[in-house]
Amino acid sequence: MSDIDIKRISYLAKLKLPSEKETFYANSLKDIIKWVDNLKEIDTSDVKPLHNVTESTESIRKDEIKKDNSVDDVLNNAPERANNFFKVPKVVE
Amino acid sequence: MKQSISQIKKSLTDKKIGVAELYSEYANKAKANLNNSYNYVIDDDENKLFIEQSQQRYTSGDNLPLDGIPLGIKDLFCTKGIKTSASSKILSNFIPQYESFVTKELLNSGSIFIGKNNCDEFAMGSSNETSHFGPVINPWRSKTSPDDDLVPGGSSGGSAAAVAEGSCVASMGTDTGGSIRQPASLCGIVGLKPTFGSCSRWGIVAFASSLDQAGPLANCVEDAGHILNAINKHDFNDTTSSNHKREDYVSEIHEKMEGKIKIGIPSDYLIDVNQDILNQIENTKKVLSKHEIEFVDVKFTTTDFALSTYYIIAPAEASSNLARYDGIRFGVREDGESLDDIYLNSRTQGFGDEVTRRILIGTYVLSAGYYDAYYRQAQKVRRLIKDDFQRVFNEVDFILTPTTPNEAFKIGDKLDPISMYKNDIYTVPTSLAGLPGISIPSGLSSNGLPLGIQLIGNYFKEKQLLQLAALAEKELAFNE
Amino acid sequence: MNNKWEMVIGLEVHAQLKTSSKLFSSSPNRFGSEPNENVNFIDSGMPGMLPVLNYGCIEKAIKTGFALNFTINKYSVFERKNYFYPDLPQGYQISQFEFPILTEGFINIDADEKQKKIRIERAHLEQDAGKSIHDIDQKYSFIDLNRVGTPLLEIVSYPDLSSADEVVNYMSSLRQILMYIDVCDGNMQEGSLRADVNLSVRKPGEDLGTRCEIKNLNSFKFIRQAIEYEFQRQIEILENGGTIEQNTMLFDTSSGETRAMRSKEFSHDYRYFPDPDLLPVNITQEQIDQIKPTLEELPHEKLERYINELKIEKNISKIIISEKDNTKVFEKMISETDVSPKVIASWLVGDIFAYVKENNFEVLDLLDRTKLIMDLLKLVSEDVISNKAGKEILPKVLSGEGNPNELVKEMGLEQVSDTSELEKIIDEALVGEDENIAKFQGGSDRVLGYFVGKCLKASKGKGNPKLINKILIEKLQK
Repeated sequence: MSDIDIKRISYLAKLKLPSEKETFYANSLKDIIKWVDNLKEIDTSDVKPLHNVTESTESIRKDEIKKDNSVDDVLNNAPERANNFFKVPKVVE
Repeated sequence: MKQSISQIKKSLTDKKIGVAELYSEYANKAKANLNNSYNYVIDDDENKLFIEQSQQRYTSGDNLPLDGIPLGIKDLFCTKGIKTSASSKILSNFIPQYESFVTKELLNSGSIFIGKNNCDEFAMGSSNETSHFGPVINPWRSKTSPDDDLVPGGSSGGSAAAVAEGSCVASMGTDTGGSIRQPASLCGIVGLKPTFGSCSRWGIVAFASSLDQAGPLANCVEDAGHILNAINKHDFNDTTSSNHKREDYVSEIHEKMEGKIKIGIPSDYLIDVNQDILNQIENTKKVLSKHEIEFVDVKFTTTDFALSTYYIIAPAEASSNLARYDGIRFGVREDGESLDDIYLNSRTQGFGDEVTRRILIGTYVLSAGYYDAYYRQAQKVRRLIKDDFQRVFNEVDFILTPTTPNEAFKIGDKLDPISMYKNDIYTVPTSLAGLPGISIPSGLSSNGLPLGIQLIGNYFKEKQLLQLAALAEKELAFNE
Repeated sequence: MNNKWEMVIGLEVHAQLKTSSKLFSSSPNRFGSEPNENVNFIDSGMPGMLPVLNYGCIEKAIKTGFALNFTINKYSVFERKNYFYPDLPQGYQISQFEFPILTEGFINIDADEKQKKIRIERAHLEQDAGKSIHDIDQKYSFIDLNRVGTPLLEIVSYPDLSSADEVVNYMSSLRQILMYIDVCDGNMQEGSLRADVNLSVRKPGEDLGTRCEIKNLNSFKFIRQAIEYEFQRQIEILENGGTIEQNTMLFDTSSGETRAMRSKEFSHDYRYFPDPDLLPVNITQEQIDQIKPTLEELPHEKLERYINELKIEKNISKIIISEKDNTKVFEKMISETDVSPKVIASWLVGDIFAYVKENNFEVLDLLDRTKLIMDLLKLVSEDVISNKAGKEILPKVLSGEGNPNELVKEMGLEQVSDTSELEKIIDEALVGEDENIAKFQGGSDRVLGYFVGKCLKASKGKGNPKLINKILIEKLQK
């Protein structure tokens, strides 16, 4: 099987693996993917994917406003805030 | 011998002991186990009012179903005003402003929380060795190597150890691929994973959304039933919450089961299994056969694929569920010059190895070019596994399997991820199908360590499942 | 030069739905609030939070399905679109990918005096993201999550558009329709409606070129500018022998130029998968049938009705149709009087709208005055007052200074329609006008106008001009 592009995977996952650990994780991933590859043996051409075991739900809301928290509740855990904003280093697009 | 919830309630009602005294007994044991089975023990002061109110209710004679019962809560449930870390560095400073549905129901039933039980980080693990706060040591010790520290199982290892060591009457855990049942088995206690959708996931730190279920770890089946009664409710705010009719899971738990019961034993589960494990199955068969219970051999066609299916779906969902941990709105933020640096540093330094590994696996199996071969294929096989169980349930009423392929092992023994994942071999299929499963201690291994058997019921058949489990428990007489 | 190349454009329009609460949380769906005021724990992506679908959004989507000629899919699935950005708390956006709620629609737009059919590939529901404010501080950005979770309908056209005009026509038709059916408020300044333009160029007959996507255009002016700039930019590259790089672009409103967004180390991979916290959406035929009768009359249907049934002239009809608020006022007016709709339309589009514009009113402010205005128009149509007098009184009625009957009296504007009085005036006016009388009898119509004017002056403008005209003719013909 082809080599795992660990740099790309960790980029997508927003992780910055230290270079000495990149190989460690890449190998780990390779082993596990090889292990789960046995699924390819099964013919599933007529099978629909199973999204969820729960078959039906009553959880569909009427279009009504309901809010029981305050602004502070939402900002209370923020590592950095400025008035009622979350504060982060400047983003450049 | 440990007291059951009914026995404790009777002592409280008969005024043989007071709520405060009872609470202190357990709280003191819990404090002694801080940084082992507990990440956090709740201050006596914080519980003072609850204890007083509970005592008042006992005095006036209208106590609630779990009144005054000291419980441990796996540190995965968001408990309002009380630290909730998911045993992770990234949430080590997090105090939720909201209470999870399940813990709210437990509070409404009068129970008192002793503390937050240690667990594997973000519930990912089978040995409680991945916790940021350190591993949990199993209170049991091997006869042959008594100096070894053994794992309690995982991910609800702290919960299982706490119940086993007697620092709480029962603990609320979660089970995604076996995380209640497997540690229960390794610690010699009872662990129940209800049918998927029975108990609300609202306010539980999400690992794998289509698999996570809350459930009790307890000293006996009846105690598990009491807890189930409190938490098994429909929740509108959880779209995956089932709207099936709930029952009283304890009222007839010791009654004789109606009709002739057929239990299937999957022979494909018992290939390559050691004698200790086989003995558990044989013994259980023996003691239950006198009760008009027939045992038949059943065969699954999908057993070999269950672990692969699980280790694709669970990491995939986890990789997405854990994307919200970025140090921006809550949790531990690491410094960085740019915003991107903050993301990268907070996440990389905030997650442990196993969590990192699973996020990477999950990202991989969802990524372009691999989605069809892995994630989509796994979802299709999942349907096959579900159908496989239904086929078997056409022939039998329950299924009996070992809970784990081995007894508790030494901390640090299983460094290879895949050998660790194989601990889940008997519990994962049930999780994928969403069926209810309960583990009860069935005997000791040749090293004197507890082993459990698993009973699996059909969807929403918890009432009958607990009846059967209570019967098996009585007959197996593990605690004697 | 440019007539060698043609542009091929597809438009992705994001419309915020006019619901009270958000798509998956019951937080208020409103604009202009204090920062983070409309945010609950679900919106801010706290641990353990779960989404619950707002049925109101499904209803809006179904209505849109009818209005834009879509197939309404009874089965659709919400999927997670995974990426990291500070205004996206969950680290994923809940959207629809493989199974959107609407597919294969179309609308007709005006293009060069004809109608052109623009096919629409799909429309799906998704969450909007929050807002980051980047330009008030040198070192920091500030994040407001109010907009997180606001319901969007993303409407994706096929690349059937061939010019900036067509794009603007298409988008403004979409906007108009969505406003008519109360699905979106169409307020582009507030961001209720945004467009991403996908543009490529080719020589006629060739295969499609590589396209670039210009994101987040929120005014017709910018859409036009961005298209013209990008068209030139791509042509220049190709004519110099280069190739077009597929890029996501931003439009710099101050310079009028498009530029590529900062290139990322790796390309996007959104890793869509069905959201395991939600179940597939299953819509029944009953639900669809219940919604259909609630659908408002569409712009083109109204236009046809105004022209064919109400006999209103096409251009005037178009002006009224252009904003739903106009039609609300107009149709209320028609219902309150028997004055002909044609007359009402003419006054509305002329003097009444002019007044509204000059005085900075909203058209809807007229709603509580329509009866009075109609009373005024009735006085004019019955010749109680002249047209000119009507125009004089109108501003006072509009500003609420009184009812028409009182005002007519106050301002002394009743027309004189008494035949004998008029005859007196006319007789006087004809004195000493033998030359002109002869001219009229010789066939000059202009003289008539002169006489009418003279009589009007003599009556101080109060003479009923129609009657004067009639009586004059009778007398002159003798």
